[in-house]
Amino acid sequence: MMWRNTILAWGAPAKLLHWTLALLVFVQIGLGWAAVSWRLSPTKLDLFVWHKSVGILILALMFVRIAWRSANVAPALPADMRPLEQRAAHWSHVLLYILLLLLPVTGWIVNSAANVPFRIFWLIPLPSIVEPDKALADAIARVHFVLFVVLSLLLIVHIGAALRHHFVKRDDVLVRMLPGTGDVK
Amino acid sequence: MIRLASLAAIVLAAMAYPTHAADWKMDAGASRLEFTVTYEKTAAPGLFKEFDTRLHLDADKPSENRLDVTIAVKSADMNSADVNKAMGGAEWFDVARYPQAEFHSTDLRKADDGKYLARGTLSLKGVPQSVEVPFTWAETADAARMNGELVVKRGTFGIGTGEWASPAVIGADVKIKFDVRLRKSG
Repeated sequence: MMWRNTILAWGAPAKLLHWTLALLVFVQIGLGWAAVSWRLSPTKLDLFVWHKSVGILILALMFVRIAWRSANVAPALPADMRPLEQRAAHWSHVLLYILLLLLPVTGWIVNSAANVPFRIFWLIPLPSIVEPDKALADAIARVHFVLFVVLSLLLIVHIGAALRHHFVKRDDVLVRMLPGTGDVK
Repeated sequence: MIRLASLAAIVLAAMAYPTHAADWKMDAGASRLEFTVTYEKTAAPGLFKEFDTRLHLDADKPSENRLDVTIAVKSADMNSADVNKAMGGAEWFDVARYPQAEFHSTDLRKADDGKYLARGTLSLKGVPQSVEVPFTWAETADAARMNGELVVKRGTFGIGTGEWASPAVIGADVKIKFDVRLRKSG
């Protein structure tokens, strides 16, 4: 088990954080979509509690991820990538991180402004970060939706690029994020 | 002289204790009728914006005491347009068929602890149920304040039917809390 990242490989914590967040983000998109479109019923309210709880979990894990990333080197991109590709890779990852922070935060603002009582996973009360304000709740809910659309497009680019690295460029960018790789280099 | 004195004493006594009976009307602007339900295991407050309280208290004849409360159910407000709309629907208050809730006491008297206890019937969504309403009473010359709370089960009134009947998402108990200011009206 390799813990810390090296210039060639991701350590286990970085991989675990990547794939846990990947799973949570897809679950979260499904939960959000279902919660919004479900008819008003106990199920709809439960779906919202799940969506909000997973959102706060994602926010917490993103702080852990950013801290770990800051404390480690990141494996270098393949040397044959053009400077434009290198910059695109860097900034798309920065934007992904920003979106995975802003989506939970805007959701938290909507929940506070809408004045909806909420406990994370039915256990821990979430404090309000803004005063109740119906107009603000509606406005930030639209921002939340736009951010979701941007994230969805960026995920397509992110996954598409990973597959291109693997199948077209035949480098190790995708493989080195997979579990069980990188220990023997 | 002795006669005059005793007459004066009677007059004074009559002035000092004219009668213990009084009718009280509510000061609507200063009174609040709140309720708290639980939503996903978290307290969710609301209030009825329109209601009225009439009270007759007679310390000499407690059997004449009466407390009458009427509540405009459509004035229920939980600080969310969506929730307020849902609350008026047939599964909840059904305000189209049952616009008014009422409480009428059948027995109202002071308990040993100085508080009052009103026993009576609360009619909500067309369902009459016996309830006990305890309250504290603070009185000045021509104003008074009553505070109290009670807990009712929403299910016994058929509030939250069908899939909402389960207490898993919206709790079974509803806490009702009131702070009523009154003025003496006669």
